[in-house]
Amino acid sequence: MLKLPQSYADRKHFLIVGALVVIGTIVLGFFLLAILPIKAQASVQAEPIRWLFQLHIWLIAFLFSLVVVFMLYALLVFRRRKHDDSEGEHFEGNTALEVIWTVVPLVLVVIFSFIGVQTLRGATSGGDEVQVKAEGFQWSWAFSYPNGVTSAEMVLPVNKPALITLQSRDVIHSFWVAEWGPKQDLVPGMTTSLHITPTEIGEFQLACAELCGLSHWSMTAKIRVVPEAEYTAWMEEMLAAQNTQTASR
Amino acid sequence: MRLTSLGLVRGLIGYFVGLAVGMAAVVILRLAFGMSAWDQEAVWVGGLISAIIGFLLGVGAMSDWLKWTRGIETPLHHGPPADKPAWTRYFGVDYNHKVIGIQYGVTGLFLLVVGGSFALVFRTELADSGISFLQAGTYNTFLSMHAWVALASILLGIGGIANYLVPLMIGAEDMAFPRLNAFAYWINVPAIVTLLISMLFGWDSGWTAYPPLSLLGPVGYQMVFLAIFTIGLSSILGSLNLIVTMLMMRPKGMTLFRMPILCWAILATSIIQLTATQLIGQAFLMLSFERSLGMPFFKPIYDAAGVNIGGQPILFQHLFWFYSHPAVYVFVLPGLGVISELLPVFARKPLFGYRWVALSSLAIALVGFLVWGHHMFTSGYQPYLRVVFMISTLLVAVPTGVKFFSWLGTLWGGRLTFPTPMLFTLGAISVFLIGGLSGPILATAATDLFLHDTYFVVGHFHATIFGGFVFPFFAAIYYWYPKITGRMYNETLGKLHFWLMTPGFWLMSLAQMTAGTMGMRRRIADYDPALGVENVQLLVTIAGFVIAFSILIMIYNLFTSAEIGVLAGNNPWRSRSPEWQIPSPVPEHSYAKPIAVVGEPYDYGLAGSSYIAMAGAGDD
Repeated sequence: MLKLPQSYADRKHFLIVGALVVIGTIVLGFFLLAILPIKAQASVQAEPIRWLFQLHIWLIAFLFSLVVVFMLYALLVFRRRKHDDSEGEHFEGNTALEVIWTVVPLVLVVIFSFIGVQTLRGATSGGDEVQVKAEGFQWSWAFSYPNGVTSAEMVLPVNKPALITLQSRDVIHSFWVAEWGPKQDLVPGMTTSLHITPTEIGEFQLACAELCGLSHWSMTAKIRVVPEAEYTAWMEEMLAAQNTQTASR
Repeated sequence: MRLTSLGLVRGLIGYFVGLAVGMAAVVILRLAFGMSAWDQEAVWVGGLISAIIGFLLGVGAMSDWLKWTRGIETPLHHGPPADKPAWTRYFGVDYNHKVIGIQYGVTGLFLLVVGGSFALVFRTELADSGISFLQAGTYNTFLSMHAWVALASILLGIGGIANYLVPLMIGAEDMAFPRLNAFAYWINVPAIVTLLISMLFGWDSGWTAYPPLSLLGPVGYQMVFLAIFTIGLSSILGSLNLIVTMLMMRPKGMTLFRMPILCWAILATSIIQLTATQLIGQAFLMLSFERSLGMPFFKPIYDAAGVNIGGQPILFQHLFWFYSHPAVYVFVLPGLGVISELLPVFARKPLFGYRWVALSSLAIALVGFLVWGHHMFTSGYQPYLRVVFMISTLLVAVPTGVKFFSWLGTLWGGRLTFPTPMLFTLGAISVFLIGGLSGPILATAATDLFLHDTYFVVGHFHATIFGGFVFPFFAAIYYWYPKITGRMYNETLGKLHFWLMTPGFWLMSLAQMTAGTMGMRRRIADYDPALGVENVQLLVTIAGFVIAFSILIMIYNLFTSAEIGVLAGNNPWRSRSPEWQIPSPVPEHSYAKPIAVVGEPYDYGLAGSSYIAMAGAGDD
């Protein structure tokens, strides 16, 4: 039997610390969820992001509590008392412990890799029932639909899988609607894309998320998610307006 | 004493003479080839290269080498210059590693203040929504300058720690190549001057300088590219010197696993610096060539048929992050080494799992080479790469965890005391924990697609850098201050510094992360009040000012204590490390006699043990 120094052999320390870690995890978890209100919620693709984010928060709460409770407890209990000139316990390490705290995180990494792949698939896949092209340029956006309709705002029907293709005319930009979750860069010379199935009706703001020069901060556009009937009506209206314009030219 | 007897002054004169000569030479060449006289890109680049060489000639960083080419021998000079006051040696070329270490450290601290001040300027602008005094263009310049000046300050700060401490800790007389050491420091100075001059012209891409944006802006970009290339050269030369010193100059009995643990961290850092820095140098050089010579590396160019006959913007991101991610470990590994070095001293207990801690530094360094693509999850590269880089990135958590748990093991059962260096060490652990734990959430690609380029990332990396560098750097300054000056800093002011800065930083990190999850993008000059982040932004600004104020207290403390601090004695911390067994301040020749290692470095509490033996008369 390995001879443990007193501070390790004393079960009382570990019982107290264990209980405090549990309490700390719960308190910190709810605190972090409150101060980190992730905005992604208004699309099918946002769901796995939101779910994984909250899973991470609980892992963070646990690990943070684990380290901080152990640390604060040690600072309090093992502080040097007045008139005590003795040295600490001579204890150089413990291979079993080192192996445990290498292997357990490794298992966690494997688990999170697996979850990571699943959620990534959820956050990046979808259908293409609606297609729209978004073009970014310094410092604005332009949208066009396969039927030739062009617009300064993007209108999408709710609950219909949309494929947004992305092109840049000058420098790198990034397409991001915070409520929808994922973002995707627009790279000159390439066409990139993003699958979004909006689940909430309303007005949202598209904002460029990659520094693109002087007015990057104001490179925004309006996004409207509307019921399908309204979308069809809007599209017909746009088509009609565009035809009149072409005819009068 | 004439002002020009200071190397720094001669160097600056050389810089501006070189600038004028270089610019004139390019203009004359252009005219000779029948081109228009003025092309700002070409003229400035020619001028700046010549200016940097002019500085090095002026300051005398190459004097000995130039003399050697003429067959003149130059023995190493020791001690302060004979005909000038002793302080002047800090303002000129000096080959003593302790002088060079101080030069690095003080320059690093100076740049930290400059870079921090840039941040305060735009933090003031961001305190509320609406543009009040900083127009978007100036905002972008300040933001970009903040990043590179702060990063330069970290590289120099690390140079300070490494150059001052490594030879002392392994009991060596000096670094392996003293002249190269001085050259590697002095080449930073013209680079910093060049970086600061870029502000006059402006540049707006942030430190990442992604093309095509960085190919479009004003000529300030060229200055940044050249400055960073030059600072990178210093990193490469400095790390080469450190590696050779640690491998070749250890005393009898000091096996690698008996080195002070900080040396392991510096070794791991130096390996990264020696092998990865080329990539950013190369990437910035290519940007410079594309701008001034029109070589199409990164910007797509289309022929009449619409085929791309130009370059690929994403290529730059690979080159950039192949250095710039490992660079993060360059920034934090020495700091983590300082934590591991100080905890045993203030716990009076051996470092828990020395070999595991030592090897975890190497493991972080090696895994760090495989993770660069996690900065590019949204970049548009092949989607399968997201999976590869997600898994490799998560792996970094394993060796990092080993460090945290080993630190806890070191504290457990100790006899803890809490002077200022220990407080900063514990503060570093708490802050690095925030930075570290907010890492995996950015590593799993799905969550990163939301968080990328938001304030959450800003919070994450500032916590990582403060926890991994700034806090440990301050801990190191307070801890080794008595060794450097012979006097003790003011403990009350030190504690005041800590208790202002640490809660200030916790608040700043959390508020930044909150803003990010609420949808605040990075690098924006103004934000929509509808986002609801105004209060959080105000908190970040207030916390930023508190941190800045606390650092001013430290600087005041360091300056005044050098004069009026109580004499510290040789070993106020009762450390076992070699540098504490010699007088404070350290004499010109650190060790009067060679030392021999006779035990383990951290055997605190083991009766009768000792780490080193000073050779007595007649030994060996």
